[in-house]
Order: sequence, then structure tokens, then C-alpha cells
Amino acid sequence: MFLSQVIGKPVLDRDGGGFGKVRDLIVALGEQYPPVTGLVIRVTGGREIFLPWSDVEEFETTGARLHTSSIDITTFRQRPNEIRLFMDLLDKQIVDVEGRKIVRVNDIQLAPVRERLRLVAVDVGLAGILRRLSLSGPGERLARALRMPIENYIEWEEVDPVESSVSSLKLRVPHQALATLHPADVAHIVEQLAPRDRTGILASLDDERAADVMEELSAEDQVDVLEALPPETAADILDEMGPDDAADLLADLSEERKTELLGLMEPDEASDVRELLTYGEETAGGLMTKDFITVSPDDTAQQVIDRLRELQPDANHVYYLYVIDADGMLVGTITLRGLIIADPDTKVREFIRPEPISVTVDTDADEAARAIARYNLLALPVVDEDGRMQGVVTVDDAMERALGEGWRKRLPEIFEPVEEK
Amino acid sequence: MTRLAIPRPIRRAQRSLRDRLPNFRVHRSGILLFLGVMGPGLIAGLAGNDAGGIATYSVLGAETGLRMLWILPITTVMLVVVLEMAARMGAVTGQGLGDLIRDEFGIRWTLFAMVVLLIANGSNVVAEFAGAAAALEIFGVPRFVTVPIVAAGIWALVVFAGYRVVERVFLSVAVVFLAYVVSAFVAGPNWGEVGRGLITPSVTFDPKTLGLMVATVGTTVTPYMFFYLQSSVADKGLGPEELPLERADAILGGIWTNVIALFIVVVAAVTIFPRGIHIQTAEEAAIALAPVAGNFAKALFAIGLFGASVLAATVMPLTTSYAVCESFGWESGVSRKFSEAPVFMGLYTALIVIGAIVVLVPGLPLFGVILVSQNLNGILLPIVLIFMLRLVNKPRLMGGHTNPLWLNVVAWGLTGLIILLTGILFGSSIASWL
Repeated sequence: MFLSQVIGKPVLDRDGGGFGKVRDLIVALGEQYPPVTGLVIRVTGGREIFLPWSDVEEFETTGARLHTSSIDITTFRQRPNEIRLFMDLLDKQIVDVEGRKIVRVNDIQLAPVRERLRLVAVDVGLAGILRRLSLSGPGERLARALRMPIENYIEWEEVDPVESSVSSLKLRVPHQALATLHPADVAHIVEQLAPRDRTGILASLDDERAADVMEELSAEDQVDVLEALPPETAADILDEMGPDDAADLLADLSEERKTELLGLMEPDEASDVRELLTYGEETAGGLMTKDFITVSPDDTAQQVIDRLRELQPDANHVYYLYVIDADGMLVGTITLRGLIIADPDTKVREFIRPEPISVTVDTDADEAARAIARYNLLALPVVDEDGRMQGVVTVDDAMERALGEGWRKRLPEIFEPVEEK
Repeated sequence: MTRLAIPRPIRRAQRSLRDRLPNFRVHRSGILLFLGVMGPGLIAGLAGNDAGGIATYSVLGAETGLRMLWILPITTVMLVVVLEMAARMGAVTGQGLGDLIRDEFGIRWTLFAMVVLLIANGSNVVAEFAGAAAALEIFGVPRFVTVPIVAAGIWALVVFAGYRVVERVFLSVAVVFLAYVVSAFVAGPNWGEVGRGLITPSVTFDPKTLGLMVATVGTTVTPYMFFYLQSSVADKGLGPEELPLERADAILGGIWTNVIALFIVVVAAVTIFPRGIHIQTAEEAAIALAPVAGNFAKALFAIGLFGASVLAATVMPLTTSYAVCESFGWESGVSRKFSEAPVFMGLYTALIVIGAIVVLVPGLPLFGVILVSQNLNGILLPIVLIFMLRLVNKPRLMGGHTNPLWLNVVAWGLTGLIILLTGILFGSSIASWL
């Protein structure tokens, strides 16, 4: 049964007398399939009244039939967890979580589940449009002839509301469905939304996921979102981002906003980010991140592995470990491979790769990017004038710098990059 | 070194491919804030000075001299009022006009509004192709060469270069219209008469004059503009706190557009009207630029007309496809593959192809086609205006930013006036047929 088939149908009382017309259905959110809890009827004279579902005897596409003939007429009052399907959901924008798209609700599917009529799915396909235009027959024949897909239903579980469109929901939208997606997919959805709908989604995710999503957004969208978020939330998200990404992002904000956010961030994170911000954008210092792992030449392989277990670093920080002496001078690197094939008691200095390729903080950023390309590195250490380890430039940042604009121009926009599943 | 799986770097590289826009950034403070907000209104206004605009204003001046100038202050008010409402709705609701129509009026009205928009914009696309063809006929290039090349070029430009590039070129081509201002001063009309023409209404109820009036309204205030402006404001994420600046942008855009229109009419009235020429070709319309460009008048006119036509032809199918797809919830965006956004890409392509084919019909008078299309826009305009006025007055959507009473009086009054004008046009056309 579809909502469009019941709206406007007659409502009869117990004796078969005309009572009014079906105006809307009310469902209570919260369950997997929200149950219908009430009926809004437009009675003769144009007034809207609300009937609890318990008064309804029969409900078919031909209309409704009530238990009673005398009704305690109370004007409609909506409870906080209830929505009106016709007024609040039909025609509105929603996120199709599985398809990662913004779509519109063309119709709403209702079905008896566990002895109650429930909202089971929304119809976002052509079938819904045609049904509402009373063109199902000829329309579907035409669509079939054109090989157009006709039916497209999204289960209610896979629906996430778009706040500004479904604003009358007045609910604190939980965005639960989105929380299960990969950050890149959430970013893909966020990019399709109007600016003011983005912040709601970001704010509803936990800080770490929000930071992951943030890193997937384009630079311009990052700034828009960060400026719209409450400062405390923005600072929490920045804490969770890589210091280099956070610094890049902060560099694009206004001076006041930047100072405000740095003040609200965790002191450790903020000091890393502050340091990165002091380097010119066009230098290796501006490109590098402070996230890297150092070991001492006298550590044993086992000690290093234990330390990695303890630190639980992100995947991309684990491939190279940097060996520094007591003065913080970079003396070499060890690779993950070198580490795991070494005997547990071997000291780092025995499988170190000495004289690592490195650049200084004020090396030109393009130069640093080229070095990574030339030597096939995953990361390039950056040192100060005295040779003390300051940070690393990772291959992804270098790639973005070296290829970014050029690739964008060369690659026709019609070809989307393959999404990582 | 062996290649390792690098999850995040690969993801990030993909992101950088996705992130196509150049990373220029506006620090939102002071003058830069103003410049950042400025733009959509100006662009929307200038879009009115496309092939349809140039042709209609030229013909208006050439046929009626300075007699109908008084209509321009009225269309200016109309344009400013409408642009301001569109900008305000975009800022307050954060949604496009097509979105709001669907949200608030349901699917049947949406279908109706979209059919209206498709007809109006489809006819505009035809006008733009006619403009491009007419412009190059000055250089002796036949239309069956111009039109297919322009159509293919536009399609590829948007799909491959991206729309922002087009938007910027749009702004720069507007400079050509300054030639009309210079031309007006060189031709030296009797400015006293221009002033009198602006404030002395005179109407003759013959179908030709009425038709020109409807076309003038239709070309100045095109439904396409409000859709474009409202979406731009919403997409830029501008909010109610930036309303004063957006308002200034919309008002300046509206006024500037019609100042140019005024100069086109004046120049045509001074240079073409006295010779009794009824403009049929771009060559005749180009006479208006003779005072400033002399022998180069034709070339200058051709360049201006071609640029304006091609750019408007680029933006119009795009805006239309976006509006339709968004209101029906279909995937949209030029960066989508055909299979991902079949309706969007199909509609975008179809508008260009159909627009091009209509202009290729042999023997079709190009300027006639342009004028008819602007008439159609004028006739359909009230429908879109009524949708807008209903929406802008909903407190649920607009909060405290609904129209004040005086603005409603002005806006509904002007809408009524256009309907009346269209009615009289139909009446008198039928009467003259009988």
C-alpha cells in the first residue's frame, strides 16, 4: 500500500456514514519499521482532526472505516517522536545511505509488519512519480520501452533525513545510518548536500570519524564546514585530524577564527599545528606532517615492535621509522620489512639504512615532491639546518602537490575516479 | 623498492582528482567579504543581456524610437524586486527554487513548474543559437556551420572544463556592452528627449507594440535568472547574516543590467529608427554601433552578440537540467557519468541539440525567432512569479524574512500588470486576425 493511494480517500464511521477524508498518517519513529499511530482526517468544513489508530477498524486503498460513530474530537497534536508522512516526509530530500545519494521521496510504502501497519520503505523511483500523476499505465509502458529503471525503493533503515528539507521533523536527527559508512562515502554524501545540511551530519559523528570525513572533503568544502561548526566541535575535529591536514585547513581560515580554534584545541596538537603554520606554504616545512615515529639506534627490534603495539600508529606512519640519536639528529631509517625480518634481539643500528635521503624545512616544496617521486619513497624526512628531525613529507601530500592541478585539467570531468569500497 | 598498499594515500589521491576546483579562497572579512558575496546577482542580471536582450532592445529602439523608453524604469523595478526575493530565499532557506517548489507544492505543481521552465529555457536556448548564428552570418559564415560547432563546443566546454570557468568568462564578456554606452554618447541623442521618454508613458494597443512590450519584460526578467540566482546563493552557503550584501548585489545587478538595456534602446532609436529600418538581421542591428566603431561596427557587434549568445547558451541548459533533476531527486552534476545521471546528462544534451536543430530549419528568420522566444518568456513569467511569491511569504520557510507588505503590493501589482499585458496582447492579436 502506498501513501499516495490513501490520501484523500473517504473515512466512514461504523455505520457507513461519511465522516471525512484521509489527510495524513502519523508514524512514531524509533523502531526499525515505524508503526502508524494515528490518522489525520479532514472533516467536512475543512477542520483537521486527529484519531488514534485504535479507532480505525479497516484501512484499505479504498478508504478507512472506524470502530466508532461518536468520536471524541480532539484537534491534532503531534508528539515529539512522531512525524506526519504526507506533510513532513513526502516530496522531501533524503539521503539514500546505501546508494550514497541525495534523492527525493516520491511515495511512501506501508505494509503490515508484526500485526501493525508500518512505514517500510520510501519510493524514490519513477514508479512513485507516475503513480502520483495517475500515469502508471502509459508511463510505465513508455519507460519500459526506453529501458529506464522504474522501481526504486529504499528501506526505511537505509534512509537518513536531510535536515533543511525535512526541517519540520524537529527531531534531533541522529544520522545513525551514516555512522556505518566508510568516511569516503560519508564525504561523498556530504559534498552533495547544501552547505547548511553538512554541519549537522559532521556534528552528529564522533570526532574521530568526523575528522576522517573531513580529510576526504575538498579543501573548499573543509573550510565551509569548519566555519559553520560551533568552535568547540571544530576544535575537537581538528585534534583528530593529522597535524599537516589541520594546519593546511587552518591556514585557509581567517586570522581570528584560526586563533580561536588553536586556543580550543588540545595543547599538544595545537603546538604541532602552530609549528607547521610557521613554515611557508611553498616549503618542505609547509608540506610536512609532525606525525612520525622515531627510534634510538640502541633499541632492539623487539623493543621497537613493542612500542609500535603500544602506539598503534595509523597505517601510513608505520612503513618507515626514523632513527635519531640523543641530540635528535636523523641518522637513518628502518623499514617495516627490515624490522619484522630482523632477529628480535638485533639492535636497530645493525639493520639501519644509514644516510637517509632528507630535505631541510626551507627546501622548496616542489623539490621535496620531486625527491619522493625520484627515489620512489613513501615518505621523506625533513630536518632543520642542524640535521635535527622535524617532520616527514608523505607521498600523498607530495602527489597532490605535484599532480593535483595538472591531473585535474587533463582528466575529463565526466570520468569519476573509482570509489574505494 | 617494492610497491606497498597505501590505503590513505590512494584515497587522498582520488580525493585530489575529485577536488577539481582551483583552491582559491576568500577570506571572509571586509572588502573581500563583499566581493565574495557579490557576483551571483550581477551575473544573473547580466544573463538578461544575452542574444534575446540585445535583439529585443535593438528592435524596440528601432521600431519605436524613444517613445517606449518609459517601460525600462518599470522593468528595472521588476527585475530588482525579483532578484532580491530570489537572493533572499536562497540565503534564508539554503535551497534552490526547484527544491522549494517540490518541498512545498508537491509533485503535480512541480511537474507543471518544470514544464514551464523547460519551455521558457528551451526557447531561450533556441534564441542563443539564433544569436550565435546571426552574429557569424555577419562574417559570412553560414548557420549550418556555426550552429553544430557551437553546440558541440558548448557541450564539451561544460563537461570538460567545468562550469566555474564559464561563469568567469561570462563576467568578462559583459565588457563588450560598454560599447553601447560609448556609442550612445558619440551618437549624441537629444538627452532631454531621452529624459522625457523615460517618464512619459505612451501606449498604442497594436499587437506589434504590445508584443515588443511583452518581449521586453520577458527578456529583462527571465525565469532562468531566479533559478540561477537562488541556487548560486544557496550553493555558496551564504546565510541570512550576509543578507544586506546579497541584497546590494541583487539590486546593483538589476540596475546595471537595465542601464545597459537603456543605452541599447537609445542607440538603436537614434541610429536605426530614423532610417525606418525594420531589423531582420544582425547586420542591420549592428548599425547601432557605427557611431563608436565606424566600419568596425559590424565586427564589434558580431563579437559581442556571439560571446553573449554562446555563454548564455552554455549556462541555460545547465541551470535547467539542475533545476529539473533536483526537484525530482535525480542524480545531477556534469561530473557524473551518463549512466549515473541519465536524466541530467540527457536533458542537458537534449536542450542543446534541440535548440541547435530548431535554428537550422532553413529560411527561419533569426531575429524573428529570438523575439518570439522572448515573448514566450514574458508570457510564462507570471507563472514562475506566482510560485515565488507564494514561497517567499511562507513564515515557516522564511522566518522573519517574508516580504513586507509594500513589497508584496509592488510584486503582486507587477505580476498582475504582466498578466494584463499578455491578455491584451492575445486579445489584440486575435482581434487583428479577425
